[in-house]
Formats: sequence, structure tokens, C-alpha cells
Amino acid sequence: MKGNDFSHSRREFLKKTGLASAAILSFSALSSIIPVGGSSGWLGARDAEAAAEKGEDIKEVLKSTFGSRRIKMAKVNMKVPIIAENGAVVPISISSDLPMDKGNYVKKIYIFVDHNPHPLVASTDLTPASGKAAFSLRMKMRKTSPVRAILETSNGTLYGSTKTVKVTIGGCGG
Amino acid sequence: MPRGIGKIKIRLPRTVHKGQVIAIKTLITHPMETGNRKNKKTKKKIPAFYINDVNAYYGDKLIMHSDWTTAVSANPFMTFYLKADKEAPLKVVWKDIKGGVYQKTVQITPR
Repeated sequence: MKGNDFSHSRREFLKKTGLASAAILSFSALSSIIPVGGSSGWLGARDAEAAAEKGEDIKEVLKSTFGSRRIKMAKVNMKVPIIAENGAVVPISISSDLPMDKGNYVKKIYIFVDHNPHPLVASTDLTPASGKAAFSLRMKMRKTSPVRAILETSNGTLYGSTKTVKVTIGGCGG
Repeated sequence: MPRGIGKIKIRLPRTVHKGQVIAIKTLITHPMETGNRKNKKTKKKIPAFYINDVNAYYGDKLIMHSDWTTAVSANPFMTFYLKADKEAPLKVVWKDIKGGVYQKTVQITPR
């Protein structure tokens, strides 16, 4: 009986702690997702301040944008400098040979910089009228970081590419 | 508003053939303030001021839309592509978070 009691309480203990940790996890996940989902929240100076100090985790950002969908690391050609002397102006150009037909085209191009306060740089919607799945931009980078380009096709497949860009601070010219 | 905001340049290829996919290069002057920078003299934060919405219309059809964040560089330079299959105006519209709307129209005449 005593043994039984013990195992029972142990089971309950495990159950309770399990629940508690799950609750904590889900709470932390929620709190980190909120600044991503509510882009209007960025406009509030206080929110922006808090987010900038903490920084958003790239894993959470990817999870909130793509869910658990798998990203194929193929078919995306990303051109970025290996070393960027000036983190304020880093050119990035993304292109892909994926078809741009009416029923099957690249719907969205996302650009992420992992170590920026807000990893999402830009998300671009394309249409078949674009003729080519390509886009380029100049972006800011706070420090050396992996850069991700992720393409979403109209049927929901994700393609991606990652490269690390080294940012040298100061005018030494890398 | 500081001067020089919203100056736009759009560059097209010199000759456009019908059905050709052309690159459209655009440049707009805008400070793209993140809201995290401080004025060194007054130690006050410079409020956020950036473009967050870009649209391109070919004829009356929306062909490209882009959501930008503060991580886009100042004086944003952007290249996008377009299949030139008709003679129509191309209108590009930028909108910033303080309600500024900047736009420029260029005519695309494929031969």
C-alpha cells in the first residue's frame, strides 16, 4: 500500500510539474510571438524599445510565419557579400528558376537576418505577371549574422537559402 | 518634414521587347528611422519613421507588393521584375508609417 501511495504521488507530481512546465513554455512562446504577429505594436515606442533590447528569436519568428512546414534548402539563389563593410547598407538579391505560371508561381519572398532586433527584413508578394521569381533590396545588419531567403510557392512549398554575412564595424575596410 | 524625402528614380531598360522580363530598379529618398537611434546632442530618441508598404501596378493590376520593416536601408533601393506584355503605365507607390504616400508612374512601351 505504501509503495502504491508513493508511486501514485510520484505520478501526480510528475503530471503536475509536466503541466506547469508546459504552461510556462506555452506562455513564453506566446509572449515572443506577440511582437511578431502584431506589427502595429512596433509603432509604439515602448514596444519597439523593449523588443530591441530583447531581440526576437529567429526560431520563434520562423515558427510563427511558417508553422511546422519544412523548408527545402534548394532552388534559391541568394547573392550577398561575404563581408559587408557597412552594416547599414548590405545589398541582397534573390532569384530562382521556379516557374511563374498562372497555377504555379512563387507567391512570396521573405528575407530574414537572424541577429537583427527584428529578424524579418521584408516580405514581398509576387504575381505571375512578375515573370521571374526575383527581388533585390539593400538592408541593415546590426552584426555578423546568417541571412535567410525563403520562397513560398502558390501551392505552399517552401524553398530557402542561408548564407552568413560578416559585418565589420569601423572604417578599417575588412 | 525634412527636405528631399520622397524623391524617386525609376530605371527601365532602354529598349523593351514584347513579352520580355525586365528588371525595374527603383530608388526613393527616405531616412528609414528605426526608432532606436538617439540624437547625440539631446540624448533623445529619434522617433521611428520608415516605409512599410510598397505596391507596384502595371496598368490597373497589382503585380508586386512588399512589406518592409525598419531593417531596410535608408534611401531604399529595390529591384523587381515584370513581364512586359502590354503597353501600359507602371505605377509604384510607397507608403510610410506617418501617412506619407510617394508615387511615380513610368510608361512601358514594348515593341
